[in-house]
This record gives sequence, structure tokens and C-alpha cells, in this order.
Amino acid sequence: MKKLSFVLLFSFVAALFWSFAPNTGGDRLIGVWEPSNGRARVKIEKIGAKYYGKIVWLKEPIDPATKKPKTDKNNPDPDLQKVPLMGYRMLKDFTYKGDDEWADGTIYDALNGSTYSCVIKMSNENTLNIRGYIGVSALGRTDVWKRLVVKK
Amino acid sequence: MSFHFKFLPIAFVVTTFGSFSTLWAQVPENTDTTVAEEDYSLYDNVEYSAEGARRFCSPKIEGLSPAKLISFGYDYQMGYNMSADTLNSIQTNTGGWNLNAQDAQVLRSHGMRLAFNIPVISQTNLVWQLGGNYWEQRYNFADEASLTNPMLKSLSAYGLKTAGLSTTVFKPLNDKYFMLFQGSADYSGNYTIKDMMPLNYMKYSAALIFGKRPSELKQWGVGVARTYRVGEINYIPVVLFNSTDVQNKWGTEMLFPARVHVRRTINSRNMLFAGYELEGQSYRMWNTSSVDGFQMREDDLEIRRGEIRLRMVYEFSLKEFIWMSIQAGYRINYRFDMDRLINGEENYRAFGLIDDMPPYVMINNLTNPLYFNVSINLVSP
Repeated sequence: MKKLSFVLLFSFVAALFWSFAPNTGGDRLIGVWEPSNGRARVKIEKIGAKYYGKIVWLKEPIDPATKKPKTDKNNPDPDLQKVPLMGYRMLKDFTYKGDDEWADGTIYDALNGSTYSCVIKMSNENTLNIRGYIGVSALGRTDVWKRLVVKK
Repeated sequence: MSFHFKFLPIAFVVTTFGSFSTLWAQVPENTDTTVAEEDYSLYDNVEYSAEGARRFCSPKIEGLSPAKLISFGYDYQMGYNMSADTLNSIQTNTGGWNLNAQDAQVLRSHGMRLAFNIPVISQTNLVWQLGGNYWEQRYNFADEASLTNPMLKSLSAYGLKTAGLSTTVFKPLNDKYFMLFQGSADYSGNYTIKDMMPLNYMKYSAALIFGKRPSELKQWGVGVARTYRVGEINYIPVVLFNSTDVQNKWGTEMLFPARVHVRRTINSRNMLFAGYELEGQSYRMWNTSSVDGFQMREDDLEIRRGEIRLRMVYEFSLKEFIWMSIQAGYRINYRFDMDRLINGEENYRAFGLIDDMPPYVMINNLTNPLYFNVSINLVSP
């Protein structure tokens, strides 16, 4: 009984430590981020073991052509062209690889309706280097995203 | 102590469950593209987490045609007449020559065009790209055996080639203003792989532009350029103007005077352009082994080739990032004259405004054919 109690005590302490220790893992990606063009804000959240990012703010939310909220009109799939951009999940399926890198995901560019392979590197707690690429990383472009917080 | 141990299993379960519960609570029913709505007004009133973080303007605007990372193309000009003049001044390095003018029929001139342009640094506050290209122009003459003029014989045997390296630096100054630098080094002539020219015959071009990006739909800039686009060296002002209308149907893509196009966007993967491009280079007459007794190599001769290409262009996505470009247009000869460098120095004529420059040694006239160009391109994210 005493042996079991020690095991349980150790588990309890470990679980407490896990609960309150500073987050140095993949969850640092969670938050609201702004791409360099400032046209959108993207909320990254964790779903299961993977990370996803959705558009939660648009600088110009209304489509000047239709006078209605912008939709994914450049999507090559006609069925998706009426999906609102607000709430659109543009980052998908990222897993944390360690060493401040999230990979195996994709990024969607609503301006041209293309989906690119993507790797995310965190250069510091408030800055992400998001590289979309075609096939190999060399054929790509890096965008720098900044972390946002609610104004004090 | 035993009292506490009694509650340990419960505490373990509660604590552990508590740790994971936030994750479990986040698991939605699916991970589709669309997600349930939330109160997005929460994200109106935010600021950068890091102090001192700044916004910088992007090098692109909405609606622009995609940049080409890698391009494989083929250019074809239909038949035209080429009247090769005799040498105007016979003060050459190798003595006097008596050469007849000759009219010749070019059945076609054509060649492949390869290019790449890869981002090396792509950061918010700096974009640096490196590129390279190889273009060739082959000349097929009617009755090639009858050619006697050394320039025509050389064109028939070797054509003209350009291999170049280029760099582009985009430096945003803030969220509105930017600087743009483009530079290139071109190795142009009638060389062959077995008989290459020295690298000191390279031609250097550059442009520096100061610009503004007032909105997502417009960017403009003014600057200066050193260019060989009309064949010989010039220093000219340049104007950048890219724009897209609010409905993303029409736009302009312009770096005047080098190229000006009006764009009609059918959709984000189908675009039509109408406009022109100035094209040209100065080609060193290096390989003369087919021209009996005439040593153009020693005479420091260069063909100043400049042409205006009035054209329609259709660009469309074949599959995802693979785009095809089809051009059809009219090639207008601006200059195809032979110039002689004195002591290797360029003759800067400033469009004839500088009077004391030596005249061209050959003035050649070309009629203007239709041309076509097709390319397959890997486009940039």
C-alpha cells in the first residue's frame, strides 16, 4: 500500500508540475497573430494534437464588388467560393517538431486560392516566420507574423 | 499522512484531468475549412505584444499576376527582311575592308528562354531575390550559301545569346514607402560553349526606385535606370505603377518605359494583358570563324539590338502553381546597328543628344514580323 502511495504521490507532483510549469512546448503557438501585410488577424488554436489557424479579423471585411462580407471567391472549388473568409481556417494540420518549429501543415492564400506546404519557425515569443513553399522549401516565401494581445 | 494518501488517487485524477481538460474542450467535431462563428469583435481592439514592433508595406498588391520562380519558354519570330549596310567608317583595328551591303530574307528567328528568380531573404523588412536567365536567338536565312555580309554570316552561324544574373532588393521604409533596387549583369554575344568571351565584356544594368504603396490596390514609384533595353547604354527616368480596381477586374502592371501592360483579370487563375515591352541588349561580335578574313573580334564590334514588342498575353494556371503564358504580337525593330567601341569604351549617345560620339559602323534595317512566345512557369507563393 505504501509503495502504491509513493507512486501516486509522485504522479500527483508530476501532474502539478506539468500543470503549472511555464509553457515551452508547442502551445506557445496558440494566440492571435498578424501577417506582415496587416490585412488580417489569425487565431491559432490547438485541436487534438495539431495546430490550426483561422481568420478572425479582416482590415477590409466587405467585398467592394458585392457590398457583402468577403467570401473565398478565388477558391478553385466552386462549392467553396461562397464560404465566408471570416472564420476561414487558413492554417491546417501543424505539429510541433521541437526546436521552435511546427511543420507538416499547409497555408491557404485566399488572394489566389492556392494551398502551399508550410513550416512555422518561432524566432521569439512574439514573432513567427511562416514559410509557404512548393515542393521544396527553397521554392517559397517567408512572411513574418507578429503576436497580438488585447489592448490594455 | 495516511489520510492524505487516501485522497491521492482522487487528487491525481482531478489534477490530471484538469490538465488535459482544456485540450479536450478544444476538440471540435471536425477540422474542416469552415469553423463555428464566434464573437469576432474581440479582435478589433488589439496591439502588438512586443513593444516597438512595426508594420512594413508588402512588395505586392492585390490582383498582380504571380511572380515566376522558374520559366521555360520558346520565342518565335516569323519571316522578315534584314538589310545589312556596308561598314560606314572603315577605321577599324584590323585595316580597311570593302564589304558590300546585302539584303537577306530571314525565314524565322527563334530560340529558347530559360529563367529563374528565387527569394533568398523574404522578411517583413527586407526581400532579396536572385535570378538568372539564358536567352538565345537563332536566325534562319533563305539561301544561306549566298550570304556574303559578315554580320549576316555570323548571325546565320551563331545567332545571338544572352546569359545573365540579376538581383532584386525590396526595402520597405515603413507601412507606406519603399525602395526597390534591381541590378543585372548580362553576358551577351555570339559566343559558343567552346569559345566563350572574357567576363569583362559583361554589361551591367541597374534601376533604383523610390515608391509608395498607398493601399492594397495600388503602388507607384519613380527612379532612374541604367539600361541596354534599346540596344545601347542609356540613363533614363523610370516610373513604376501597379494598380488593381476595387472589383479586381482591371489593373495595370507598368515599369515605364521598359514595359506597360493593362491587365484584365478573368479570375485569379486566368489573366489577359495588352501592352508592350522594350527588349534588347548589346551583343559582342566574338565568334567570327565563319567569316573569312574579317576579324570582328579584334575590331570591338557590338550589335545594338533594341525592339518594341506590342503584344497580347494570356496567362493561366495549368495546375496549381504551374502557369502557362502565351504571347502573340508584333515585333517592331527599334535598332539593329553595329557599333565600334573605341578603346573598349561605351558610346553613350543619350538618344543623339550628345553630338561628338562616333557614328554606328553599320546601320541595318529590319522589317517587322509577327511573333509568338510560349512559356511554362512555376509561380511564387
